[in-house]
Amino acid sequence: MTTRRDFLKAAASVPFASLLPAGHDGLWLPRGDDRVLLVLELQGGNDGLNTVVPLHDDTYARARLRLSSVREGALALDAGFGLHGDLAGLHALCKQQLAAVVHGVGYAEPDRSHFRSRDIWHTADPLHQRVAADTTGWLGRAADLLAAGGASMPAASVGSLQVPLLLRARAAAVPTLERAEDFQLGVVTTGGAADERRAALVELLAPNQVPGLPPEAAAVAATAAQAAAMAEKLRTQLQRYEPKADYAGSQLGADLQLVARMAIAGFGTRLFHVGFGGFDTHARQLPTHAGLLRQLGTALGAFAADLAGHGALARTTVLVHSEFGRRLAENASQGTDHGAAAPVFVLGGGVKPGLHGTPPDLRDLIDGDVKPTTDFRALYADLLGWLRIDARRVLGGDFAPLGLYA
Amino acid sequence: MTDLLQPFVPTAADPFDLRKAGHLLRRAGWSGSLRQRRELVSAGVAAAVESVMPAAAVPPGPELLQEAIAFGDIEHVRSHRVHACLQSNHPLRERMSSLWHDHFATSNKKLLDPRSMALQQAMFDRLGLDTFDALLLAVSRDPAMLRWLDNDTNRKGHPNENFARELFELFALGRGCYSERDVVEAARAFTGWHVIDGQFHFLAAYHDAGDKELFGQRAAFGGEQVVSMTAARPESARWIAERLLRFFVHPQPSAEEVEALARCYTQQQRHLGRTVQTLLASRLFFSARVYRSKVKSPAEFVLGLVRLLGARAAPAELARAMGAMGESWLEPPTVEGWPRDMAWLNPATWLLRANFAADLLEGRRGKLRPAADDLVAAAGKPSERVAAAVDLLLDGDVTAASRARLLAFAARRAAAGPGGGAALLHATACTPEFQLL
Repeated sequence: MTTRRDFLKAAASVPFASLLPAGHDGLWLPRGDDRVLLVLELQGGNDGLNTVVPLHDDTYARARLRLSSVREGALALDAGFGLHGDLAGLHALCKQQLAAVVHGVGYAEPDRSHFRSRDIWHTADPLHQRVAADTTGWLGRAADLLAAGGASMPAASVGSLQVPLLLRARAAAVPTLERAEDFQLGVVTTGGAADERRAALVELLAPNQVPGLPPEAAAVAATAAQAAAMAEKLRTQLQRYEPKADYAGSQLGADLQLVARMAIAGFGTRLFHVGFGGFDTHARQLPTHAGLLRQLGTALGAFAADLAGHGALARTTVLVHSEFGRRLAENASQGTDHGAAAPVFVLGGGVKPGLHGTPPDLRDLIDGDVKPTTDFRALYADLLGWLRIDARRVLGGDFAPLGLYA
Repeated sequence: MTDLLQPFVPTAADPFDLRKAGHLLRRAGWSGSLRQRRELVSAGVAAAVESVMPAAAVPPGPELLQEAIAFGDIEHVRSHRVHACLQSNHPLRERMSSLWHDHFATSNKKLLDPRSMALQQAMFDRLGLDTFDALLLAVSRDPAMLRWLDNDTNRKGHPNENFARELFELFALGRGCYSERDVVEAARAFTGWHVIDGQFHFLAAYHDAGDKELFGQRAAFGGEQVVSMTAARPESARWIAERLLRFFVHPQPSAEEVEALARCYTQQQRHLGRTVQTLLASRLFFSARVYRSKVKSPAEFVLGLVRLLGARAAPAELARAMGAMGESWLEPPTVEGWPRDMAWLNPATWLLRANFAADLLEGRRGKLRPAADDLVAAAGKPSERVAAAVDLLLDGDVTAASRARLLAFAARRAAAGPGGGAALLHATACTPEFQLL
């Protein structure tokens, strides 16, 4: 078994060369190697049934005497389903043939704990194995493959201050970014000599292979060296950018805008994660959920418009998913409890638009919850195929893609 | 009591020195000045451990809490917490409250109720070193907790399982130590535990008084019985022992350590204060495996640096800095609490820490420049200045590799003259050792 110490040793021995510009980053990448995937995670368990709303399903209406009111004002997708009325920004993308909906995505034997279900989505391991210090995430494993091919910063987490499990990698250094401007190394400036002090500090922080550092300190030292190298790269490469859309000032919008800037600049980072929380709507769901979906639709609309305005939408895909959906029956608090399968959205990147997969049968439930009709790993296989990353090595098995891409 | 928890007895080869005093103050408090650490060394290990324990039964500063409540915004409550940690010379009470805030993680982002959040913190201060039974019952009746996990909507015939599930999964037992049936039945027992005007109320009309089957026993259990039955489970002793060990001792406690502390905790009738005091005085706590085995959290980094340097800064400013690094008190990211250890650090958060240290040392952004800067600058030769900086921030203990790099730094022109002392302290705060707890 791999111990924490082994993990730390591995983390500390990341070759520094992998952090330096590889020479073919960004705009000069071979065709197909500039594709960017953003995983936007709706945290807390988004109510899929009130997001992609079954418009004429009596079972749904009977189970949700209050919450089925969202059928009024829903924005039609096809004869049977409509988007929640507050998702106008996302509905516009559907109308422009830029978005796909996949019905009933989940995994067998659903786990109703936020953390366990999130871990399952993040690791792509539905066997519920305990998460250990050396557990990697599915995008982290993809980042490792890109790093092995010479990418300098293949993945980043935006908005969160901790790297989420899905981006945990074995070798690739994965930073979290909030504002590109914050990502600089400050020094003491009293008495002048700031440039000299920065140079001396960078020298002090240079990676070392000196034996005798305890493993914890070695892992910290590796992180510090990466920080100094990445700060320099970000500072020099993100200069030119003119937004072509209004992100409306929300935190989610700001996070998506930073991803757009890096994708447009051809920065070389190809895998992103953004989290958007607040979906654990156990009580008084209607106003909370509507507000969240409005922010989501607006931010996604701006993101797509900005990328399209810069000619970068065709090489950018967004996956929008949550750790689980919610129970079919509403509870007594005008909310919903933890559920199982739910629809996901895939936007941009030349995805085949429209509704995919089989809508779950709401009369055939698993402990009151929606049964999955699509394994989430098949969806991952599609996305990895589009990224031209070996899905088998990331997922540890073969999963037939859904055919979301031509 | 097993060997692991026998009191640590200093010897000539393994003395209670500056390193160990620093270790105790980092783990049981928020670090301390060089003078305080030297005083603890003179006093000896037993007196040092005694000194971190709360001096009085009642937490200090209720008037400050009232003020924070009166201001009514969460920033004030957060500043009050930071202030309490910075000024305490018997810091274990505040340290335990920070553990329980993480363990029973409740966020104002959902509640939007600073008063209830402040009162929950006061409850942790009051009961954090009492018995776990008393603490768990108070948490189960805490208005912030009841609303956070929706128990205020848990009614007879319409149970809401949220609180019961987290009580077992996160608070008291851990996964695999209860069944789904236990969750459903416990949720029924907590029906009617309600909040009215920010206070706990038991609403009999909403309570399901019928029989419940819990842990294989059948009776008309109420919430109080669920709490006491849960706290008394042997699995709970191991869960709490492991939690205390991860917090005070090592990120990955061994099975033997968990068993030993669980036994001690059970013998102490689940009294947290006596259990923790035994742990802090133990051979295990002062062993080589434990020393600098954890990565500092943002609060441990920020508050520790302020206290080590004897610096001054507005508590609100420090709270904001911690928040930017990922630890915004009173707003834990999930009911699971904050991430731990290496998960705190990545290139971005490392930069925020390094930049905070530079700002603090220079008195930028609402901070007052600490005098420590001049002390280091006045020490003379590069090796003497490095020794002064390492004494101040690292208890005189640094690896040969880091010392060599600091000497190279100190020998440069930029590390002499005005600001040179601050630059050297900044470099010392950027060493890997300084990120370790």
